[in-house]
Amino acid sequence: MRWPSLNRTKPEAPGVHAEPFWSFRPQSDREAGDAVVSNFMLHWFPAKISKASMAWNYSFWLGTISGALFFLTILSGLPLLFLYVPSVERAYQSVKDIEYVITFGSWIRAVHRISAHLMVIVVSLHLVRVFLTGAYKNGIGRGQQREVNWLIGVVMFLVTLFLSFTGYLLPWDQLAFWAVTVGTNIASSIPAVGPAVRELMIGGRNIDQATLIRFYVLHVVFLPGLLGVLFAYHMWRVRKDGGLARADAESALETPQATKPVKSKTYTLLGVARGTAPTVTARSIEAQGATVNAVPDLVRRAAIATLGTIAVVSIMSVFIASPLEEPANALITPNPAKAPWYFLWLQEIVTDTTIRIGSFTLNGAFIGGVILPGILVGVLMFWPWLDKSSHLAAGAWMPRERRTQNITFLVIILFVLALTFVGMALRGPYWNFYWPWEAWPAIPGRI
Amino acid sequence: MSEPKPPTDRRDFLLKLGAGAGVAAITVQAGASLRSLVPNVSYDAPTTVKLGLPAEFPDGLKFLPDERVLVFREGKTFHAISAVCTHLGCTVRAEALASPQTADAGGASLRLTHRFLCPCHGSEYKGDGTNVAGPAPKPLAWFRLLIAPDDGQLVIDLADEVDRDFRLTVG
Repeated sequence: MRWPSLNRTKPEAPGVHAEPFWSFRPQSDREAGDAVVSNFMLHWFPAKISKASMAWNYSFWLGTISGALFFLTILSGLPLLFLYVPSVERAYQSVKDIEYVITFGSWIRAVHRISAHLMVIVVSLHLVRVFLTGAYKNGIGRGQQREVNWLIGVVMFLVTLFLSFTGYLLPWDQLAFWAVTVGTNIASSIPAVGPAVRELMIGGRNIDQATLIRFYVLHVVFLPGLLGVLFAYHMWRVRKDGGLARADAESALETPQATKPVKSKTYTLLGVARGTAPTVTARSIEAQGATVNAVPDLVRRAAIATLGTIAVVSIMSVFIASPLEEPANALITPNPAKAPWYFLWLQEIVTDTTIRIGSFTLNGAFIGGVILPGILVGVLMFWPWLDKSSHLAAGAWMPRERRTQNITFLVIILFVLALTFVGMALRGPYWNFYWPWEAWPAIPGRI
Repeated sequence: MSEPKPPTDRRDFLLKLGAGAGVAAITVQAGASLRSLVPNVSYDAPTTVKLGLPAEFPDGLKFLPDERVLVFREGKTFHAISAVCTHLGCTVRAEALASPQTADAGGASLRLTHRFLCPCHGSEYKGDGTNVAGPAPKPLAWFRLLIAPDDGQLVIDLADEVDRDFRLTVG
């Protein structure tokens, strides 16, 4: 696509681009660079990007897919904002209308729900990928602070979970009400301040209108805004840190060698005026062929990842219906009552961690719901400062030097996945253990 | 002797004053915003509730879902136990025992007709509220029962936990 350029009547001022449009099929490096400079959406891209860091099998483009899913939740959330009523009397009915009355309503709700669930999965996978490749480590560049971006990333992961959890309450059905009852009671198990913290979270002693409006505002304004700001900062830091750690790994492998001057780069006279022909000392990353123009190569791949995500979610949403249980009823606890799937491993832990020493009892909700996840998240956040491996272990899959920590990390992940599976598939009435093929017993009626 | 003050001092002072005023303004704004989220008035259900005339209660157990409380009657004596699980706040379900037992509860004898099971994490309580299995950290609460002076109804005070030897005897 090449738009006709305006006639230039005046000479171009430095830094000002007279052409209002850009090309996705640039004919020269200059045109490729112009596209990045003059396009608002592309300005966060570098002019050049290393081929290695764009490889599908290095990053699996999980960050881009996470971003695309966030975009989809916002896009599908906008129509829902017009249709949903955040009041305890009308919330359930409005969601029921979205599901059964409004044209395309159930599809839009399914897109919102499925992209939110997938976002939890993909953001987690992105975190796992960055850990396993040691991509939070600095390479050879000066002033790199990838640890900070890892920290931001972990916070973004937590915000993603909290966004999903606040959205969970909004349909005001039994599923929502009891998941949030259990979730907020974990906060009240903190010694001394717990009940006050819970009261602040839910705006009273019971889950009611005050809770719904709090979760609603967090869900539609505060948390998406926070995630948007963190997202922008996350991307900015990727640029500041010299792109993916993979690019550093590529250039760290070889010592600088004499090469021919690269057309796209600028050198001082000192760099070229030696010998009879111009030569420069450059790292392999600077060699021609190691990098490509961001426009169109990076744009093309980002577009493939984004459009692919949209296509997959759109199609899944046609086939997977969103659940809507009976209206919330504070009088009847469903049996079993389960937390959202991504918190089931915590629910499994809070079931098993009540500690009794003589007459002294520590509530499992405090150990399993506050202490243990607190330690896990704390260690995760500050791991880059604890990881003392060399910069050569950055940006490569499963390097020998980081094998022990990678295996430990994977064991913890597997443990969490196993607990999630137990909570999802093997827990029946009264949280008793049942095999998937075992029938649940008929529950004796309530008196 | 102090050094003569540099001529930029007033400008410096004003700069610090401006920055300080900005920080103070934002702090007060943030404080006010956060304080506004702490409710001053509770629209929660009241904690003292009339439950009906004592004669309306059957011998044995009656579950009152609105108050999430279990009211027991043994002839002329009444006591009430919370149905809120002490682990994470789900409502426990009562299951009748095949054969009632008599146990000692806080020094007074008590006829146990049921046991209580929590659907969320499988906690189990005896008929007097003692936690016996699962993650529940402490027994179910006992609440004070009164007789309303105006119309003789049974009244429960959900804010007043009592010991397990508490019985309300209705004459």
